[in-house]
Amino acid sequence: MKIIKPKGPEIFDIELEKDLLAKNRVLAKGNRRKLDQSKIIAIDIMGSIGSGKTSLIKALLRKLNMGEAIGVIAGDLTTTIDAERIEEEGARVIQVNTGKECHLDANLIHRAINGMKLDGVKILLIENVGNLICPGEFPLGAHKRVVVTSVTEGPYMIVKHPYIFREADVIVLNKIDLAKAMKVNPSQLEKDARKINPRAPFIKANALKGTGISKVIEALGLE
Amino acid sequence: MHEYSIASEIVSNVLDAVEKNSAKKVLSVRLEIGELALLNVEQVVHWVQALFKGTMAEGAEVKVKTIKAIVQCQSCGYKGRNIPDSRDIDQHYAAFICPKCGSPEVKIEKGRECMLRKIQAVR
Ligand SMILES: Nc1nc2c(ncn2[C@@H]2O[C@H](COP(=O)(O)OP(=O)(O)OP(=O)(O)O)[C@@H](O)[C@H]2O)c(=O)[nH]1
Ligand SMILES: [Mg+2]
Ligand SMILES: [Zn+2]
Repeated sequence: MKIIKPKGPEIFDIELEKDLLAKNRVLAKGNRRKLDQSKIIAIDIMGSIGSGKTSLIKALLRKLNMGEAIGVIAGDLTTTIDAERIEEEGARVIQVNTGKECHLDANLIHRAINGMKLDGVKILLIENVGNLICPGEFPLGAHKRVVVTSVTEGPYMIVKHPYIFREADVIVLNKIDLAKAMKVNPSQLEKDARKINPRAPFIKANALKGTGISKVIEALGLE
Repeated sequence: MHEYSIASEIVSNVLDAVEKNSAKKVLSVRLEIGELALLNVEQVVHWVQALFKGTMAEGAEVKVKTIKAIVQCQSCGYKGRNIPDSRDIDQHYAAFICPKCGSPEVKIEKGRECMLRKIQAVR
């Protein structure tokens, strides 16, 4: 008699080499290609919560005075507050809500630039979600990356978050008008930055008054 | 802080791979996370397990191997592990400065990765 035994479960291994951040990098490259084809210079503006990213964008828009030739992507968790503030300056604005994500990613930017009228746009400013950790890990495909920090965050921001400051092409130390009141020494922050990223210009700014804004424009090659 | 998005990426890759290999159940997955990756390993594991619920990977063991950091100095050629063992706030900051010559032109060769390496499954 022939007995047919049930086949036992077969345990096996699947070996992989899956880099979990790679997908974002590929999408970022695609964004860069699309931006280059459309002859648009894109700037990723990262920085801490409340450091003055929106204020810096508003100041840049006022100084550059290029109307709808500047597009802005305003990243935020759930609100449209920043997009509305930016719209006041006459730029073309699109809001990207990340929901629970603490950073923009290349896929969100891909969707934003495909859903936005880009004809005539020469510069695209992207306000990332306020955070000094995650946005650094998720390149968007922008040509330059700015990191905004301010004296009101205390004297240790750069030492505590070296990754993102190392990624920066330009570092802006904002709210310089409040340095004394906060007992923060801007030169020390500059030294901390220089030590890990000697390449990036370190610009002291007051985004509300416009101090340092022309230096930011120059450092980004936007004139 | 992007543990959730990394975990979703892990889970979709696992489910993709097991489907391609016509597996019925996932027993374990193995990740490699660098000690300089900006990820909280416990939170990654927590989210992966949570997202596995209701899939054929529900209950699978999540194993994590920590990859030690290796840096190479572009100025003087120093190569080695360059992070103090303490949990100082400036531990990562120090990792970017060459311990031998002080140069910031330090390339991180290992220690920043976040990889899915192995899935053990049943067919
Ligand atoms: N004193 C002073 N206040 C500033 C300066 N720049 C911005 N602020 C104020 O700081 C607060 C936050 O500014 P925002 O521009 O909204 O900061 P943000 O980084 O866009 O904030 P989130 O998008 O919410 O993370 C506002 O009350 C601004 O008026 C500055 O240079 N000096
Ligand atoms: Mg803002
Ligand atoms: Zn060296």
